[in-house]
Amino acid sequence: MKIVVCVKHVPDTAEADVVITPDKKGIKKEGLAFGINEWDEYALEEAILTKEKYGGEVVAITIGGKDSEDTLRRCLAKGADRAVRVEDPALEGSDAYALAKALGAVIKKEMPDYDIIFTGTQAGDDGFAQVGQTLAETLGIPHAALVTKVEIQDGKAKIHRELEGGLEEVLEIQLPAVLAVQTGINEPRYVSIMGIRKAKKKELKVLNLSDVGLSPDEVGEKGSLLKLEELYVPPVEKMAEILTGAPEETAARLASILDEKGLIPK
Amino acid sequence: METVEGESFGEKYDLFVCLQCGKCTGSCPLSMRSQLNPRKLVREALLLENEAVMDKDFLWDCTTCATCRLRCPRDLQPVEVIIGMRSILIEEAKVPSTVQEALESTFKNGNPWGRAPSKRVEWAAELSIKKASEGAEYLYYVGCTPAYDPRVQSVARSLVRLFDAAGVDFAILGNEEKCCGNEIRRMGEIGLFEMLMEDNIEMFENYGVERIVTTSPHCYNVFKNEYEGLKAEVFHYTQLLCDKLDEGKLKLTKELKKKVIYQDPCFLGKQNKVFEEPRKLLSSIPGVELLEYDREKMRSVCCEGGGGRMWAEATATGERTAEMRVKEAAALGAEVIAVACPFCLLTFEDAVKTTGYEGKIEVKDISELLIEAIEG
Repeated sequence: MKIVVCVKHVPDTAEADVVITPDKKGIKKEGLAFGINEWDEYALEEAILTKEKYGGEVVAITIGGKDSEDTLRRCLAKGADRAVRVEDPALEGSDAYALAKALGAVIKKEMPDYDIIFTGTQAGDDGFAQVGQTLAETLGIPHAALVTKVEIQDGKAKIHRELEGGLEEVLEIQLPAVLAVQTGINEPRYVSIMGIRKAKKKELKVLNLSDVGLSPDEVGEKGSLLKLEELYVPPVEKMAEILTGAPEETAARLASILDEKGLIPK
Repeated sequence: METVEGESFGEKYDLFVCLQCGKCTGSCPLSMRSQLNPRKLVREALLLENEAVMDKDFLWDCTTCATCRLRCPRDLQPVEVIIGMRSILIEEAKVPSTVQEALESTFKNGNPWGRAPSKRVEWAAELSIKKASEGAEYLYYVGCTPAYDPRVQSVARSLVRLFDAAGVDFAILGNEEKCCGNEIRRMGEIGLFEMLMEDNIEMFENYGVERIVTTSPHCYNVFKNEYEGLKAEVFHYTQLLCDKLDEGKLKLTKELKKKVIYQDPCFLGKQNKVFEEPRKLLSSIPGVELLEYDREKMRSVCCEGGGGRMWAEATATGERTAEMRVKEAAALGAEVIAVACPFCLLTFEDAVKTTGYEGKIEVKDISELLIEAIEG
């Protein structure tokens, strides 16, 4: 099996205070701990488990600066065979669509005969949850997101997906396909520092846009459908009102509050 | 067996001279409740292949209290054999998930508690403390557990007030401080330990640190005995405060009429022979009646908080050693169990609750008792 896994090096912001940069387009990186995106860690493990079961090759791909090589080294130490990092100033300002185009171009160059592309369902930093599906679309192949189980069956895969309300959807998908993995699908293995050091011998290739056959206009702000206007921290509201009484009374009261605030279009 | 670095266990740990006397197993605080059997493991390290350690979950039971090492008539180190076996498990990724999380967090965040590095100094929010960059006679190395654990933060805050009261010139590293690696090495993650050691030594040298004082005996131990090339002198806070008491700079004036029993932390007491300073501090508090366990000092019993046990639930069944110690303290009439280690503080507080002594016996760090004696 020819397996691709797309990973992202992201800051951990669950607990840390996030400070927005003066240009309002990003966050300050100082003091933040970076590592592999949580969903991607499961995608990587699924890629390695698939290789261990069916044989083949895993290539890990990321778009990002030199620091994201930490994440690629972990991928290599855990069992990826080689890694590719794409860096280009023109990628700055790319939305999920532009990133999907870039990933698609790398994949076509580095592993054109892929069987499965694993991604995480979303990234912990911008939380778009779009790259997997968009990547499938740009490559013209099927996809499934929120994947919680994968069974490979002769050119197809049986996929379990997590739906709302505790429902699970089971479907058959034609390979090659993009599978955007949900957390909890497996138990990502530990990799020691010694293991990471040993993996330094494995290939880690760095490419730019022209290497993968893309023009600067296809990515970045020009190649994106979304443009980031501004990042801001939502203001902390001080007041909360809990309406009590019979449902018809509280509903009427709620409607009048919404009306007073001008939130109901006339 | 072969170590992860490719040496034979027999040669690296000199196991051929083992008498198989069994003193190690007899000394082990876990061997009665677990399959952990140092004598057997030493034998197996000589006779079996690495594969034999793969299903030994009980290897995570060891608290690395080192009593086996201290009592061995041949000066062997069964505890190091166990750590070496854990290293094999680490390299084979056969790690309990809680240990894995602690190790991954230490790599990523610089602490095993899964907490953000930018929150490390929050415990000191209301205190004004010098930064290491400003230079000071002592670097106060706070440690991960006192920095992040809400219960143990009180120890760090008490120490700052005590150092101030005793006129100690000290500074902290703040959010730059990183795990010392004592527990990391004992969990078998040698590569991560070496990385932490190199980073910390470099940081200490950059700030021109000449003296380090620690909250935890675990940090004290690793800096003092295992940091290769560290030039700074290392003290546990009980040593520094005892000096200040002798110099007349730490004045204990307020009375504390309590019967207090002292639990020797393994990494301060039996492993580093610091027995007298903590006792002197306690008995210098007016009104304190200092009691002693029957098994004290070199014979003291581990609280089961060391060697990575804060992140690994043991396979051992039955009464925990800390529970046994709480009952012994109660039988001796103690009102307070005094500790000098963050892990002892946490394991004993749990044990007081599980044995039903909550409200009857308090667990306090020595620093917290000293604060009561200077501030009332």
